[in-house]
Amino acid sequence: MAESAKWDWEITSKTSWFVNFKELYLYKDLLISQTRKDFLGAYQQTLLGPLWVLIQPVLTVGIFVVVFNNILGVKTDGYPPVLFNLIGVTLWTLFSEVFVNTTRTFTQNAAVFSKVYFPRVIVALSALLLQLVLFVIQLLLLGSVFAYYVFTDQIALHPYDLPLGLIAVFITSGIAFGAGLIFSVLTAKYRDLASLTQLIVRLLMFVTPVFFTLAIVPKKVNWIVMINPLSSMFELFRAAFTGNYHGTTSGIGFSALFMICIVTAGILLFNKMGDKLLDVL
Amino acid sequence: MSEVVIKAENISKLYQLGSIGSGSLRRDMQQWWHKHITKRDFVSDHSNEEIWALRNIDFELRQGEAFGIIGHNGAGKSTFLKILSRIIKPTEGRILGKGKISSLLEVGTGFHLELTGRENIFISGHMLGMTKKEITKKFDEIVDFSGVETFLDTPVKRYSSGMYVRLAFSVAAHLEPDILVVDEVLAVGDAEFQKKCLGKMNDATHQNGRTIIFVSHNLQAINNLCSKAMWLQKGSVMANGHVKEITTKYLQTLQIKNWSRKFTNLIEAPGNDRVRVLSVDLIPQLAHPDAIFDIRTPIVVKFSFKNLVPGTLLSTSLLLFTSAGECIFDIPSNHISIDDEIINGECHVPGNFLNDGAYYFTLYFVENKSQELFTYHECLSFEVADYRENTDWYGKWWGYVRPDFPLHIKPATAKLPITDQASNLHGN
Repeated sequence: MAESAKWDWEITSKTSWFVNFKELYLYKDLLISQTRKDFLGAYQQTLLGPLWVLIQPVLTVGIFVVVFNNILGVKTDGYPPVLFNLIGVTLWTLFSEVFVNTTRTFTQNAAVFSKVYFPRVIVALSALLLQLVLFVIQLLLLGSVFAYYVFTDQIALHPYDLPLGLIAVFITSGIAFGAGLIFSVLTAKYRDLASLTQLIVRLLMFVTPVFFTLAIVPKKVNWIVMINPLSSMFELFRAAFTGNYHGTTSGIGFSALFMICIVTAGILLFNKMGDKLLDVL
Repeated sequence: MSEVVIKAENISKLYQLGSIGSGSLRRDMQQWWHKHITKRDFVSDHSNEEIWALRNIDFELRQGEAFGIIGHNGAGKSTFLKILSRIIKPTEGRILGKGKISSLLEVGTGFHLELTGRENIFISGHMLGMTKKEITKKFDEIVDFSGVETFLDTPVKRYSSGMYVRLAFSVAAHLEPDILVVDEVLAVGDAEFQKKCLGKMNDATHQNGRTIIFVSHNLQAINNLCSKAMWLQKGSVMANGHVKEITTKYLQTLQIKNWSRKFTNLIEAPGNDRVRVLSVDLIPQLAHPDAIFDIRTPIVVKFSFKNLVPGTLLSTSLLLFTSAGECIFDIPSNHISIDDEIINGECHVPGNFLNDGAYYFTLYFVENKSQELFTYHECLSFEVADYRENTDWYGKWWGYVRPDFPLHIKPATAKLPITDQASNLHGN
């Protein structure tokens, strides 16, 4: 009998760097149901339900306007401070939520992972998907605020710049996801790194043009902001609404390249380490 | 002969205690530094102990076979199932298989407590590898099997634990893999539901030709469901083969055997200045030396003691207790007037009398029909294994005793059938 040829599957000690797309496709329903579960689960037995998705940016923008614009007098490039901050906060929420939720893949699902097998990357993907859904809801808020300022003639509409925002969203969530995958493996192995991720998110916001523009950054410290691959993306996202881009073209190329590298590295590491991590979780 | 659908070759799993699982980045970096840069042996402050959780496990199964895995806690059963389920990787060896394999290591994996039963059927089903189409198709069947229709739109956190387990198992029971791996999930749920689950598993192998790998502490369930079994001990295979042989061997090591006590020195013998016990023996009347001491086995208890004061009017009592200390019987002997001499006693307990469980005997010595001379507590202890056939019921049989008194049922119109023997209700 030709033994080896007729087996459908094999379990060995080997781990793979690569994603098994065929298998991933078989679990596509799980991806949807996990996203749905996380969405529904988060708002069961709450007072305001999914309204929280909007309350968070509204409150953040309120504080930003008071602290940064009214107290510290940060220039908003001539745009209404509310709109200016809302644009930054909306994209920043996407970045930080995707990153933080992806890093929790192993630590939060240890119990499930130790009892049932499925491609682990599904959980990370569903975290990404959920945050994109929430982002779309927040984008509706941003869209309404933007529409208000356009109709009251406080700013001009630049319809051809709007699609630029999609590029910014795509690359920003890609960077967050890739970095999240890497940190999900690291925090599963080294629990002390979990607090580091919190710190990264908090500090990174200050070197990313969330509540300021590149235009007001002094030349001397410009490099700090420019080595941050998120900078160009936040400028690009804002430019989609204002039509006024303060970054460089090479900056966009740098961000795109960075995203490709970190997503690839993240997926490879995640796949390679995923099976081994279950021994130490 | 059906084809081989799963084959494990030389499966081993090594766990490292200490360094790897330390979870400290600093120590791992130190270790890496010393290993690769300074080339010195790094002595960790934790010991680098290695443990083989599994060692060289081999087996193969054909389609439609049910395979039981037994062993004490820590024998490696769960590790083995996790490897089979692809949750962890083996350190060495490989498993080859054909067809879809699903495992059920826990009921309710992935359930979200805040969501309704309906939502959770889908969530859990997807997690176990079912597609939306499959679940939708079997949805009514799943709900029916679980018996929780009325609460389908209630969050599962408000379910009773029984309902929760029933719903969770129902989803899993409707998986239709070619190979099903089941851990001790039947320990949960009420008796009726357990029976339903085992029935479902039985159907899966016997009618639908599925292969099942089943871990349980319930040897009755293993015996009835499985055709082959493997006994693991400390990560290695102790025995692998026909289910009855394996469970019998396993039971023999499991049973408490304190069947004989002999005392040659009168001073050390249990007793006092009136009586001294010389020996107590429990002799199960087994059909052959390797047979299991089960509920069908008759028992003979023999004892001998020395009476130290001449002219005593003495009798003894043999008391049987369950391991929990409840008295099953208290049998008094005849009274005899004796000198300082050795006395022998013997009591026959028939088979098909005791229920399965752990028991002990106590011997009681009485003077003048009422005065206690000496009590020899727990002089013999033993365990009675279960035995049953012609039944689909695998839960604990009720009662302290389990006599096979004849019990007949018949249609009211028919004449009473004349039978000369007890019915085979319990099988004997």
